[in-house]
Amino acid sequence: MILALRNAGKEYITDGSRVEALRDVSIEARAGEMVAIVGRSGCGKSTLLHLAGAMDFPTSGTVTIDGRITSDLADAALTRLRREKVGFVFQSFQLLNTLSVVENVELPLLLAGVFHTRDAAMERLRWVEMESYAARMPWQLSGGQQQRVAIARALVASPPLLLADEPTGNLDSATGDTIFALLRRIADERGGAVLVATHNREAAAIADRIVLLRDGEVAEIQDVRGR
Amino acid sequence: MFAAGSRVFFRLMIRPLAREPLRTAVTILAIGLGVSAVLAIELAGDAAAGSFQSSVETLAGDADFEVTAIGGIPPEVLTSLAMLPYPLRLRPRIEDYAVVAATNRVVPFVGVDMLSDAQGDGIRAGDRSSFKDGDRVRLQIGDQVHDLKVRGVIRHGGEAIVTDLAPATRLLGRDGKLDRILIQTPTTRSPDEWEQILRNALPAGVLLARGGAQTSENRKMLAAFRWNLRALSYIALVVGAFLIYNTMSVAVVRRRAEIAVARGLGATRSGVLLAFLGQAVLLGLAGAGVGILLGRGLAEGAVKLVGATVQSLYVSSQPSPIHLALPMAALALLLGCAAAMVSALAPALEASRVPPIEGMASGRREYDAAGRRAGQLIAAAVAGCLAYLASRVGPVEGKPLWGYVSAALLVAASALAMPALVTVAARVSAILARRLRLTEALLAARSLAASLRRTSVLTAALSTAIAMMVAVGIMVGSFRQTVILWLEDRLRADLYLRDAAPAGVDRHPPMPPELADCIAQLPEVAAVDRFRAYQISYQGMPATLGAGDMNVVARYGERAFLSGAPPAGVLAQLRHGDNVIVSEPFASKHHVQRGDTITLPLGTLPLGARNVRLHVVDIYYDYSSERGFVIMDRARLLRYLPDPAPSNVAVYLKPGVPIEQGRRAVESVIAGRRILALTNRSLRTEAMRVFDRTFAITYGLEAVAVLVAVMGVAGALVALVIDRRREMGLLRFLGGAQTQVRRLILFEAGLLGLFSMAAGIVLGVLLSRLLIFVINKQSFGWTIQFHWPVAVLLIGLGIVYGATLLAGLYPARIATRLNPIEVIHEE
Repeated sequence: MILALRNAGKEYITDGSRVEALRDVSIEARAGEMVAIVGRSGCGKSTLLHLAGAMDFPTSGTVTIDGRITSDLADAALTRLRREKVGFVFQSFQLLNTLSVVENVELPLLLAGVFHTRDAAMERLRWVEMESYAARMPWQLSGGQQQRVAIARALVASPPLLLADEPTGNLDSATGDTIFALLRRIADERGGAVLVATHNREAAAIADRIVLLRDGEVAEIQDVRGR
Repeated sequence: MFAAGSRVFFRLMIRPLAREPLRTAVTILAIGLGVSAVLAIELAGDAAAGSFQSSVETLAGDADFEVTAIGGIPPEVLTSLAMLPYPLRLRPRIEDYAVVAATNRVVPFVGVDMLSDAQGDGIRAGDRSSFKDGDRVRLQIGDQVHDLKVRGVIRHGGEAIVTDLAPATRLLGRDGKLDRILIQTPTTRSPDEWEQILRNALPAGVLLARGGAQTSENRKMLAAFRWNLRALSYIALVVGAFLIYNTMSVAVVRRRAEIAVARGLGATRSGVLLAFLGQAVLLGLAGAGVGILLGRGLAEGAVKLVGATVQSLYVSSQPSPIHLALPMAALALLLGCAAAMVSALAPALEASRVPPIEGMASGRREYDAAGRRAGQLIAAAVAGCLAYLASRVGPVEGKPLWGYVSAALLVAASALAMPALVTVAARVSAILARRLRLTEALLAARSLAASLRRTSVLTAALSTAIAMMVAVGIMVGSFRQTVILWLEDRLRADLYLRDAAPAGVDRHPPMPPELADCIAQLPEVAAVDRFRAYQISYQGMPATLGAGDMNVVARYGERAFLSGAPPAGVLAQLRHGDNVIVSEPFASKHHVQRGDTITLPLGTLPLGARNVRLHVVDIYYDYSSERGFVIMDRARLLRYLPDPAPSNVAVYLKPGVPIEQGRRAVESVIAGRRILALTNRSLRTEAMRVFDRTFAITYGLEAVAVLVAVMGVAGALVALVIDRRREMGLLRFLGGAQTQVRRLILFEAGLLGLFSMAAGIVLGVLLSRLLIFVINKQSFGWTIQFHWPVAVLLIGLGIVYGATLLAGLYPARIATRLNPIEVIHEE
């Protein structure tokens, strides 16, 4: 089991009042499995991904990544966990415009203190079919190309868990489909667990499981693979 | 229309400033410090030198003409003027200095004709002295201390002690000669006619000048000093301008989308341009306001330092109170606004060119900026060549104007070359960081190279301040080393005797001639050099005429000449005929060359008055005074001015006589007199103390410029963190630790400091050569040997680098406190 959320809840205090963003959520993701989190805006998808990526702690329940409960870890250990186990893909790509494509992909390795980064970065770019764009700047690429680079960056440290937050939100539907197909390939070919948050239920159909979130609660879990 | 425009301006241009109070405050403070440095120097300069009136000219009133003579005016001159058939008002004066025994403070001691001034008999004190009617005051006058009673306070008398001519003559041991006769003429004739009449009535060798001539001479003499100080003070403002440029550039980059929206909603190009310039003017006004307050405060400290320099190098005077007049405040406001507007012009123009549909990513602009490097490098090379050419042009009316132009061009060349230099430096840093496996350093180097525009401006600002520090450090260090070597060369005697009053460059009180004779007879003494100095005016500028015993100087002393001729040969020429040597500053100021002839009015009635033509046999290196010296043999001078009293005595002991034994012997002769016997070592120490005090103001100005630059770096790094908060958040998502984010910012600060230091040192060395060989030479005429003051530079650069790193601490703290989840989702 790569990821397990057990009765996870998250509360915030906003302007003095308590807001419950997630309530009693239990989800699992195994190696080679793609899980889609669907629901309307504000239903708690991003909060769930932040908990799953050890960027935040649950206020109730537990989040376990590769066997380690995130709430039990200190900041340094959490950073190490994120570095080694989690890759993030964002809606707005979040590439650094001041770095070239290959330099963007190298970034997680450099942060991990790895200095021979070029080969690994080029290999991931090749995998997402962006090798020939390595020397370009991000602003010279289309949205779909930028998201491919962002996926290559998320994969560069070979994390067992990939989290994608509305990865097609800024793309047209055709390009969005190719990105979803790429995420599917990650689960199938690289054996990683992929957790993708999306409001696009049709695209989510290529996942192994679809988790429907409504007002911070799991409303339904649909096992697509078994269908 | 105007009201609507004002509301839009307030909402779009003023509110954003209020939303970033820290950044706005740093920008205002940066320009404020720059303005304050300029204002403080102006105010201090005015107080110490600008509104200068030689302190002995106290109570001179509004005389139309004044009569002077080297060595004093014989009383017969006054008689002959009084005999003229015109209703002239004649005011004879004796002008000297006394020392208040209780405080050791030197004050003007003026003898006036009390009857003609209708002020009665007795000693009066000026209203700025601390004495009251009836006080008893112990004054050292000449080499004696007198107990005198104050019998009145004189309005507008400054610190002067005033007495009647007769007691002044007696107390000063004068032989009846006067120092000055002030003449007030009726308005029945033109000044030119009166000048002709008076000139005809005066014997040769007696000088006639229009009223206030000495003040004007001193002002002229101080002009170059003030110009250089002023130029130095403007560096802080230039550094501040760089930082305003940076602030405005960043604002334009950040707000391109907003500007595009505003343009889409109907804002015109000129409207956008005016809005940004208006914002700059507001920042400039606020900065100038801060600058006026700070400058007034800084002026109090600056006036002490400037006053000390004026006293050391130029003339005895006490600074007047600091007066911040309305025109000066207006100048400060104007400077603040001008600096802000000039530095904001380029960013404002860029803002006005933002199209209504903005589709350009920030990375694209940086990429374009990088593409302009080649053009900027060519422009830098052109500026550098022009700087070289400007440095070859001579002074304009004694001022090194082209030297300043050359310095400005060098700074411009450095700023233009900065993008290329930063790119290279960042690449080298990245390679080194990779080799050393310093992740954050590698990221910092890449980030700095990627933010080329911002990095270049910051590096240019900091490197300009560092260059100034290096340039002034090298110039002062070289000057100091040159003076040390010169003192070693020049000061060969074992003991030096002078009046016990604090030394002054224009005060040469004589001591009784028999003292030197007695000392010469001592068994411990090998030789005595009696040196006599007179204050003279040459071509409308103050100078010093001096005479020593050239036999003694040739035998024991040493003097280096510009021609490189052996001293013995040159000094031997002085013993024959009307031959003189002149100091380098004198030669430079009056364009005198070896072999030229100068004419001085020497000798007065009844011994025979005439203008003496003196042949300049050589020019010697001298760093003791900027006024300039004309030196002749004592025997020759005594033929024209037969007063044997020396101003200073140099004593050479016989070989093997311990210095303390010689000193005791000399002190037994001068016992009971207010005369100091200084050893060679203590005189050198004193000379270096005066030297260091003289240059204290330059260190003060350097500190202000560096402070402005470091503040700018801190402000810019805060802005950098705020602008890049999403990037900082992203790093956390990508596995970056909080400590890595902190180190990243500190590495950026450190690399900025390193780049700036590298560029600053190169620019500083070039500027130092310009200061030493062009600006200083043209301003003061001193030849300074280039010297690396390694220790001073290392300490200075170490402090700046430490300050730059410290400046990164606060932004680093902000960066680590960012919530990555919040910032990553910001639009």
